[in-house]
Amino acid sequence: MTDAPMPYDAQTHHLSEEVTTGGSIPFWAVFKREVSLYFRSPVAYAIAFALFFFLSLVFNGYIAQANQRAPAQPALIPNLVTFLLFLIGPLLTMRLIAEETREGTLEVLMTLPMGEWHFIVGKFLAAWAYYTVLVLLSLVYQIIWTQVGVPDQGVAFGAYIGAWLYGGAVLAVCMIWTAVTEDQIVAAFLSAATVLVLYLADIAASALAAQPNLSMFAEILRELGLQAHYGSTLARGVLRLHDILYFIFIIIGALFITTRIVETRRWRA
Amino acid sequence: MIEVQNLTKRYGEVLAINGVSFMAQPGQVTGFLGPNGAGKTTTMRILTGFMPPTDGKATVAGYDVFEHSMEVRRRVGYLPETVPLYRDMTAQDYLTYMGEIRGVKNRRTRAQEVLERVGLIQRAHSRIRTLSKGMRQRVGLAQALMHNPPVLILDEPTIGLDPIQVLELRDLVRDLGRDHTVLFSTHILSEAEQVCDNVIIINQGHIIAEGSPAGLRAELERGGRVLARIDGDLEQALPVVQGVPGIASAEIRMDGIVATPANHDDPRAQIAQALVSNGFKLLELRPLAVNLEEIFLELTRHERNAMTEVSDTATPEESEVASS
Repeated sequence: MTDAPMPYDAQTHHLSEEVTTGGSIPFWAVFKREVSLYFRSPVAYAIAFALFFFLSLVFNGYIAQANQRAPAQPALIPNLVTFLLFLIGPLLTMRLIAEETREGTLEVLMTLPMGEWHFIVGKFLAAWAYYTVLVLLSLVYQIIWTQVGVPDQGVAFGAYIGAWLYGGAVLAVCMIWTAVTEDQIVAAFLSAATVLVLYLADIAASALAAQPNLSMFAEILRELGLQAHYGSTLARGVLRLHDILYFIFIIIGALFITTRIVETRRWRA
Repeated sequence: MIEVQNLTKRYGEVLAINGVSFMAQPGQVTGFLGPNGAGKTTTMRILTGFMPPTDGKATVAGYDVFEHSMEVRRRVGYLPETVPLYRDMTAQDYLTYMGEIRGVKNRRTRAQEVLERVGLIQRAHSRIRTLSKGMRQRVGLAQALMHNPPVLILDEPTIGLDPIQVLELRDLVRDLGRDHTVLFSTHILSEAEQVCDNVIIINQGHIIAEGSPAGLRAELERGGRVLARIDGDLEQALPVVQGVPGIASAEIRMDGIVATPANHDDPRAQIAQALVSNGFKLLELRPLAVNLEEIFLELTRHERNAMTEVSDTATPEESEVASS
């Protein structure tokens, strides 16, 4: 394109067909950008630092007393990580959509030729990828463990797979709140509350199960909770298809809800 | 090309736009003119596929905005009112990112090209947060040009710029108008007069006038209104002017008396004679130069408070750059 005066010509507009390929995968572009943002974000490093500081303190203490305790808990680190997800999840996701809504960049994204799910899935996968890196880094404790003792590697494997899926489900649930509000702090608090409720659901369920007429409700509540699909199965090395499907279902369901919420901005704007 | 038929958008009880119809031709800049809250942004958001209309039909580049939203979005470049940018990215990276989402080929080179076109190539590798408001506006415009769309929709692109930046941006928009269909919104009337080939005036969700700036001016000048300024009490002079044969009405405006003749004859000779013979010192007597500002005030008069101050001069934000 030149700066010289150009008379209008219908031909010129066939250029637009040449410039774009049409066959792009926008969510991949969004994913790449968000991942690179995580690795440049001080907040992400602060989260990683706090997590590993805490993990190392607990691990140290555990190892120091390990000879007084039998048997050793091979799922120690994954269990801690899944517990801490009520903090990690909201902190990693709160920015993702809320910031774009507040800055107005969401409006531009929504006028690009891509469906909403592209940037929601792209952002979710980026958050999950960063979380995956954290989980992989935490394997260092497993390596130390194998040097000093003989942990049950099968149990550890199941627990790590569990912690990874568990994290995906938590991050997907947190996506809902960052789409609902444009205030990151509000998104983080609501996410943390939701994750805690899902974490504690099976404890509430066992309390309710004592009441005979509420047993059905208690069973549903237990099924919905995160711990029922992790604590007593994956964390003990039991890989059940049922539990894996639960986490996948939560991820897809939460991302679907997020997409619908973002779509409503077209009607609310 | 943009074709809008009977477009209506309702937010709950509020009717943002009501039965808007117009056309924007290729190779032209179509100005979308109206005060804040007139429905300009709403119309533009519908045309960019951001939100659906409540009623009516709009086609952009031959595709219906509702039925074929993706096709429309591929062919539209949109610069929203608050230029939303990722401030931590460099201009080059931002454009490349938007290009990647849009599936633009050779996007690095293409980003260079559009930065060149908006005159920002020297700052290609500066983070957007370090750019001035005018430069950010141009990054936003570059984003709209990335995929070389046939249709450009620019929502108040000159807002908040300094006078020199405003002039540069207007030149750029005029230039783009030669090979694109440009829909350009503004609430500054002289701007529409300078930049646009065709002007659509919208107020409170209705189109109240449409035509070339010159055509709209001619239409209102046909009334042949004249402005008389005198040295003395305007209140006393007013009945004298009203008494001149052939004058339909007269009122005090713009530190003078504006007289509207009943027919198209020039009433100046009679007015001068009447004023002088009644002992008033006549300072000036001229046909009222109608600019878009006048037209706009004229067209929206019945909707405004009668007490509104009417100024002869351009608005303050305009005065430094007004050159028409």
